[in-house]
Amino acid sequence: MSEILRVNNVSKHFGGLMAVSDVSLSINAGETVGLMGPNGAGKTTLVNMITGKYDVDAGDVQFMGHDITKMPTYQRCHLGISRTYQIPRPFPELTAIGSVAVSALHGKKRQNQSFEDALTDATHYLEFCGLFSKRNVLGKDLTLYELRSLELARALATTPKLLFVDEVMAGLNPGEAMKAVRLIERAKEEFGVTILWIEHVMAVLMKAAQRVVVLHYGKKIAEGLPQDIANDPFVIECYLGSCHA
Amino acid sequence: MELEVKREKLLLRAGTQKFEWHIEPRYWRMPAIWIGLLIVLPIFIYIVYPQLLPTIIDANLLAAIAIPLGWMTIGTGRMNFGPQFYIGAGGYAAALASIHLGWGPAPTLLVALVAGLFFGLLMSPLSIIAGGLYYTLLTLLFPLVFLEVTFIYTDIFKGDVGLFGVLPLISVGNFTLNQFLICMLALFIMLIYLLIVDKLLRSKFAPQMSAINDDEEVAEAMGVNVKKVKIISFTIPAVMMAVLGWFYAHYYGTFAGITYLPLAFMLKILMVSMIGGRVQIYGNVIGGYFIAFLELVLIMLLGDYSPVVFPIILLILLLTLPEGLFGLYRKRRYREYLPTLHVRR
Amino acid sequence: MLTTIETTLIYTVLLGSLYLLVSLGFSLICGVLRIFHLGYAYLFVATIYLTWFFYHTLSLPLAVAIILMVILQALISIAIYYGIIARYLKQEEIIITGLLLIALIADQVANRFYPIQAAVYLPTTIIPGSIAVGSTNIAIQLIIAAALGIIVTALFVLFFLKTKTGLAVRAISYDLNTSKIMGIRVEQIYMFVMVLTILPVIVAMLMIAPVWAVDPTMGWGYMYTAILVSVMGGLGNIRGTIIASYIIGFVHAFASFVVAEPRLMNLAALIVVVIMLIIRPQGIAKTESLW
Repeated sequence: MSEILRVNNVSKHFGGLMAVSDVSLSINAGETVGLMGPNGAGKTTLVNMITGKYDVDAGDVQFMGHDITKMPTYQRCHLGISRTYQIPRPFPELTAIGSVAVSALHGKKRQNQSFEDALTDATHYLEFCGLFSKRNVLGKDLTLYELRSLELARALATTPKLLFVDEVMAGLNPGEAMKAVRLIERAKEEFGVTILWIEHVMAVLMKAAQRVVVLHYGKKIAEGLPQDIANDPFVIECYLGSCHA
Repeated sequence: MELEVKREKLLLRAGTQKFEWHIEPRYWRMPAIWIGLLIVLPIFIYIVYPQLLPTIIDANLLAAIAIPLGWMTIGTGRMNFGPQFYIGAGGYAAALASIHLGWGPAPTLLVALVAGLFFGLLMSPLSIIAGGLYYTLLTLLFPLVFLEVTFIYTDIFKGDVGLFGVLPLISVGNFTLNQFLICMLALFIMLIYLLIVDKLLRSKFAPQMSAINDDEEVAEAMGVNVKKVKIISFTIPAVMMAVLGWFYAHYYGTFAGITYLPLAFMLKILMVSMIGGRVQIYGNVIGGYFIAFLELVLIMLLGDYSPVVFPIILLILLLTLPEGLFGLYRKRRYREYLPTLHVRR
Repeated sequence: MLTTIETTLIYTVLLGSLYLLVSLGFSLICGVLRIFHLGYAYLFVATIYLTWFFYHTLSLPLAVAIILMVILQALISIAIYYGIIARYLKQEEIIITGLLLIALIADQVANRFYPIQAAVYLPTTIIPGSIAVGSTNIAIQLIIAAALGIIVTALFVLFFLKTKTGLAVRAISYDLNTSKIMGIRVEQIYMFVMVLTILPVIVAMLMIAPVWAVDPTMGWGYMYTAILVSVMGGLGNIRGTIIASYIIGFVHAFASFVVAEPRLMNLAALIVVVIMLIIRPQGIAKTESLW
């Protein structure tokens, strides 16, 4: 298994708050890695640094042999990093197919692709996510589950190698959540993406992830197999409180 | 014998015969028909009533300014309230070159293009730096500053008198024929702009512009080079507007900032966009013709009161037509990928 | 040299206080309603010409004319609020265009009935004459206007900090939706703010009308200053507005007396604002809230 992403000692602070401090991470191709931690642990900040929304204060990020620490977001996307958002952020005035077409057109430099080709491509991803019947509905009119599916379709349409999934379960009912989890697992099989899965519902990661990384107050406190993490007394203590790491 | 209109069809029953005509809008959407009409109109007016030609020129020029403004608005995702700045830049550049160097319209066009390109590139970073509201306000102020500069350096810009003696755009001897040719040129420029922007909004660049319009951050995460798109869709429309400044300077033979740079002229352009069809490019053509003719009619009917009544009518139309004049005909459909205006707070 | 510095400082205070009056309303509307009142220019025109209409054309006493003008202005504000702002709160482009049109209408109506040749002059001078401060002569009226500027601003600040309504306004400026849940009647507060914001402008215009020239297009110039001040002050923060007013006042005074080229005033102010925006895009203020 070859290494696809390597994060070396990155830190980020907002004012006086250390959101992420000195975190290192390595992901191999084809893996599903869980990233968990209580609210405000710096999970999303870490993802924002890897995808390029925030600048990294210290440390560096390597993706497939490229140093992407200072690369603009869109170029990282062209290299094959994509993400979904914790709170879905659709293009409100674009139809579902239109927003997926944006990704299909610009997610990667492709040759000989017209707008029509991109639309055909987009239908494929929409169908995969079960949104084909909603293809002509505006982004602002979709329901939460549909929005999450749309976000996944949009992210997949950029043909990523590494996909960040940010809390798919939040706000969904159990049935929908199960569907969403299965959808991501299918996407992994079909498109061969590597997944970094942010979640604070332990049960999902126990099933889906091969490896789990735990963040707490911006620091990495544990890493290992899901079973080991679940039984780690330190992690349990952090989740239940009375921990001042 | 009975005639009925049913489901976008005109039905004619005569005995046992039944005739149907589709009156579905799409049959009216043939661009060739409309372009043909626009070309025939000046010819008809030239033959019948040549005094109307200046109004037609005006209408075409207004539409031609509003079309690139629509592109600029959509491409940068922000509403630019200072389009007249580039008209001023192009106009002054062309007029100065024509007066001091004695150049005709052809070389000064190049000067105007360079001026438009220069100021467009100079100001395009603003669309990246400044957020929605700040951008709106700053673009509103720039033309006013330019106006003040023309008053400060009176020896160069000749203040509110304006620059005189710009070489005419076309001179064939006959005044009416001159006007007709100028009218055709204005129409030509407008149609070219319409073609360019229409093709652009149907191409694969449209989705990235609408994505930027909707959510810049997500657009960038999905691989759109936001800065590049914004700078291009700021600079090129600026150049397109500068060309119209060149046109104004050579058409009237004089160029004064006080005519074009104040808010009143900007409002007129804005109204062409808004009343025409909320930055729909075809609406701009309708809006341009509508506003030019409304102004003419009001001056003929009301004379002295027309400057008062004109904005009142525009205000009423703005508040009563939710999608503009073009929206009366064209209802927005989800299937269309044309980006629409969306001003962010 | 010393004289120049002295004059510049005096005029910084004078102009700054006046600009405070001029831009306080614009800033407040920005901060509370979160819209740009680009029709703000109409207030200046309306103040002068409505008073003139009642005073001169209808030959009413000046005090009555002013009272009638204030009432009428309040009614117009409410009409604008219900006619345009409340209806199109979500469609910014319509609000901005509509408000600009209103300013243009006011401008044109004034120009039609009282063109610049009509010699509009309001005798609202409180104490005539001028006084020597250091080595500069300044009209007493201007000093009174500046003092009123500071007083009115202080009253506004007190109002927002000490009263229940002021608290509601501040709550709205922090978070609209939460304040709705907390039971604040947002529509009423908005309307109230719309009416409240005309007061500083009225005070300013009545004070400077006898000193500075009035004409139907003067509103744009004042709005220009108001826009600069409120962009610089962080769009609606009163603290930022106060600081920005004096900065703009200083820039204007500097251009007028040190550079000795009054025509450069607005250009210099704009350049200062643009430079500041590039350094600090969110304006002077720490937050976009009211205080």
